[in-house]
Amino acid sequence: MATSSGTTSIATPGQLLGPASKFQPGPGTHIHNSNLYSSLLGVVHASQPAKPPGPSKRLTKITVPTQTPAELPTLSVSRTGVSEKREVLPEVGNTVLCRVTRITPRQAVVAILICGDTVLEAEWQGLIRVQDVRATEKDKVKIYESFRPGDIVRAEVISLGDQANFYLSTARNELGVILATSEAGNNMYPVNWKEYMDPETGLSELRKVAKPY
Amino acid sequence: MATDTKSLYVLPGDAIDKSLVPRHKKQPLRLGPGLRHIPPSAIVPTTAGQLVVEPRKNSMWMEYNGGRYVPAQNDLVIGQVQRSAAELYLVNLAAHTASATLPQLAFEGATKKTRPQLAQGALVYARVVLANRHMDAELECVSAATGKAEGLGPLTGGMAFDVSLGLARRLLMARSRDEGGVEVLELLGAEGLAFETAVGRNGRVWVGSDSPKTIVLVGRALRETDEGRLDVEQQRKLVKRLVREMR
Repeated sequence: MATSSGTTSIATPGQLLGPASKFQPGPGTHIHNSNLYSSLLGVVHASQPAKPPGPSKRLTKITVPTQTPAELPTLSVSRTGVSEKREVLPEVGNTVLCRVTRITPRQAVVAILICGDTVLEAEWQGLIRVQDVRATEKDKVKIYESFRPGDIVRAEVISLGDQANFYLSTARNELGVILATSEAGNNMYPVNWKEYMDPETGLSELRKVAKPY
Repeated sequence: MATDTKSLYVLPGDAIDKSLVPRHKKQPLRLGPGLRHIPPSAIVPTTAGQLVVEPRKNSMWMEYNGGRYVPAQNDLVIGQVQRSAAELYLVNLAAHTASATLPQLAFEGATKKTRPQLAQGALVYARVVLANRHMDAELECVSAATGKAEGLGPLTGGMAFDVSLGLARRLLMARSRDEGGVEVLELLGAEGLAFETAVGRNGRVWVGSDSPKTIVLVGRALRETDEGRLDVEQQRKLVKRLVREMR
């Protein structure tokens, strides 16, 4: 049922929460026909509206501020109860850190681990297509000389993609492989934009290296 | 023992005596297949086989007869077309392994309009372009530098026989009689049989000829050389016996 200020009531998807004239939509809700409906199964929160500033007094003049829309309380529905943490989803333009799981001649399949600064709870799968690896000479890119399974890559989300994958790109200088392990099993250090070197064996391997900050 | 490398057989993980490792003033030491360098100075075999040392080129490697073919770059192989996907043929190099990919444009004179017509089950003689343990192997039937086939391409007629990997490697050596100890194909040719062969490093030998009797005879000779581990003298006797039986 519609609730105005209850903090412990549960809403199901599609449940009417209130009119849009009285509430602001927050995360987990949507507006349909000027009514606020819940989008998720969860607990309804109402944030208290900001106290409208009283009439401000100056020495010579008293002005009454006009009612701003931000005064309406915001209704939000969250799944995990009281906690404010929301599941962060990678958005277009976010910089993510991911681990390469598989390479084929046309793309590299990665598991997205960190979005921005937050560690994701679930691992989302992403694709780095061969034409998105570099900005120049896109048709001459060889995936085997850019990534290897197990590398940690900094990439940018370019598309939310389809049901299975996000689409990522490493076509900037500061994007690319940041951590790589050599064939002998040692941690490698970057030498230039396309080589990593194993300090113990002295052999270098080709990767698309991210420019260190 | 130190100089008699012809009979030095090692097992994986054996320590190799430092005196066996060749030294050269200028060239660095080159390790071939089957050996692994563990820094700082240990050289360890990874397969069971014969250790071969070449002091002039300052290189050492292992000769071994494995059961499973692992694709390596620039190998010549005989593959069987499994099916064709978008712009690709999926080619089978060995039983129960992942297919290798062969682009449909990687043939001599192939353009987007004129492609080769390879049916399922056809044999091709190809070179391995890309092979590593993270991806499927890629093949080509044309030399990338010159654009000419140079013997590669579909193999029509004839029959492919399975041989061991060791025999395939020895057949492909430049001086197969001296270094490899196989002369059976040359001997059969000297007896007057007309046939052509293609040897694939993945353990397949294709034999083509006008007469099926010749094909069967060559196949039998190869199989008996392989299974009996015959040396050059025994191969000579084998060839004479087979040709006599045929006539």
